[in-house]
Amino acid sequence: MHIRSLSLENFRNYVRLEQELPDRAVLLCGSNAQGKTSLLEAVYYLATSGSPLSANDRQLINWTAKKEGMAHIRLRAEVVQREQVREISIVLLLEPDTQGRQRLKRRVLIDQAPRKRRDLAGELNVVLFLPQDVELVTGSPAGRRRYLDDTLSQIDARYSAAQGTYTNALRQRNALLRHLAEQGGDPGQLEPLDGQLARSGVAISLARRRLINALSQHAHRTHGELSGGKEWLQMVYQPNFDLTRPPGIVCQTSFQESPGPPQGISDQDLVAAFRQQLRERRREEVERGMTLSGPHRDEMRFMIEKMDLGVYGSRGQQRTAVLALKIAQLAWMKQETGTSPVLLLDEVLAELDQHRREFLLAQVDQVEQALLTATDLEMFSPSFRQRATLLWVEKGLIQPYER
Amino acid sequence: MSSVPASVTRLIEALSELPGIGPKTASRLTYFLLRGQSDLPLRLAESLRDLKERTRFCSVCHTITEQDPCPICSDPHRDHALLCVVEEPLDVLAIERTEQYLGVYHVLHGALSPMEGIFAENLRIPDLLRRVREGGVQEVILATNPTSEGDYTAAYLLSKLGPLNVRVTRLGRGLPMGGDLEYADQVTLASALERRQEL
Ligand SMILES: [Zn+2]
Repeated sequence: MHIRSLSLENFRNYVRLEQELPDRAVLLCGSNAQGKTSLLEAVYYLATSGSPLSANDRQLINWTAKKEGMAHIRLRAEVVQREQVREISIVLLLEPDTQGRQRLKRRVLIDQAPRKRRDLAGELNVVLFLPQDVELVTGSPAGRRRYLDDTLSQIDARYSAAQGTYTNALRQRNALLRHLAEQGGDPGQLEPLDGQLARSGVAISLARRRLINALSQHAHRTHGELSGGKEWLQMVYQPNFDLTRPPGIVCQTSFQESPGPPQGISDQDLVAAFRQQLRERRREEVERGMTLSGPHRDEMRFMIEKMDLGVYGSRGQQRTAVLALKIAQLAWMKQETGTSPVLLLDEVLAELDQHRREFLLAQVDQVEQALLTATDLEMFSPSFRQRATLLWVEKGLIQPYER
Repeated sequence: MSSVPASVTRLIEALSELPGIGPKTASRLTYFLLRGQSDLPLRLAESLRDLKERTRFCSVCHTITEQDPCPICSDPHRDHALLCVVEEPLDVLAIERTEQYLGVYHVLHGALSPMEGIFAENLRIPDLLRRVREGGVQEVILATNPTSEGDYTAAYLLSKLGPLNVRVTRLGRGLPMGGDLEYADQVTLASALERRQEL
């Protein structure tokens, strides 16, 4: 797939942008803080309905627009997929809620019809690679969970829905647990939330396990190639609630790492086992005022042999692992959807040596469209620059680049 | 600086306390009332006073009413064995408009939402359970909104009503998900009542 045109209103540096984009490689050049990264951020927002850089959507509103009381953002892209054009847009609007507080409301539209967030799945798929993505290996588990969620939600509407249900049930449940701890009340109010949490939690955990297994296999190969066969990367899922060993379900012991739940165990059995665990820990949860089991406590580790890269890896090893991960994501998305996602590369070449740089640019030639940002064009070979479309980004405006 | 009369400031301040109305809108409304030639300000004042002095909540179903028990609860021609549970008094009006429902109501005054500090004890839930336990009710229709809070409330009520030897049904699907009953059109609401399902 590729983006044919992109339009942004009041987003970061962009007051108003209408930009046509060709397929193949597009090089966005310019100095720092002119809007190169924001453009990739906007595309990522359209794909996932969230910014990779800011947890607070209000920070995305253009500063001048905010000052003039124009408190809305509009993002729109025309996406070409299998020779069909679809228009996706997301509008963020400040509106008073029932209590009269100003809230930023998000509206999703596909071909101008209002849709749900999960309907974005499959409409625009992207693989984003930022210099700070090395934190996926070294940083907090929350960042890794967010990465898994964003990757799955992009192509799987059911995952997106399960994740929405889970997040909401978890928030309600934690608030209820705190209330039960402080003021008491009917613990029976937990039951419906336990049901929602267990059903969506099992769906999330199953999907994450499948994804990590697939990514690990792809990344293993790529990483082997990148390291000249010296090191072999593996990604390991450490679920908080282990569906391969559900408590209360007796199964044959196996010494092999199993790719899924034990044979003959249905999803309903897993949901029941999850609820059982919630019931067993209820007293402890009420005491501590929070939910203690479930995929919101999942972890994923990057390993070489028995070494945990996040803890013991060198910076170079960690960077190579992230590169392998992103290339694995690209391959996985292509395999799952039958179409290549749009590749978004933000200044990542500077972090890589010649060999890895060439490896990554070879991927760019494999996809239908890639948007790359660069302050230094010398990073790219003359032949690559010749093949690519060059655009000049300055103060939120985009012009053809004068060669 | 010119000083604005206290009666004007007081009205602006009072209006700004309403949900969804900021100081700007409050001033605009105030000056509109001030300039107009009609008796609108007096009519408003009278209805506001009546609202506070003459309306109360029905002691049986908790809907807004001028007489207690409300006309619906005291109507012998209605089916008192059929009880429809809704979130707000406005939902009663919406269902009444369909002219298809002949049972009585129970207004919860909200839906469960721990995040917003709304728990079972803050709603008219204990009272509903007492009503059902006292006997005479054969079917409870859970007509909470098709939102996640409404569904949560319905699931909780089902768990409490389940053991009470009463038929429990939920409004049929077809109501727009995430919407409010209050805004559903009459035909949709009537067919949702028609297609209610046993839980
Ligand atoms: Zn009444």
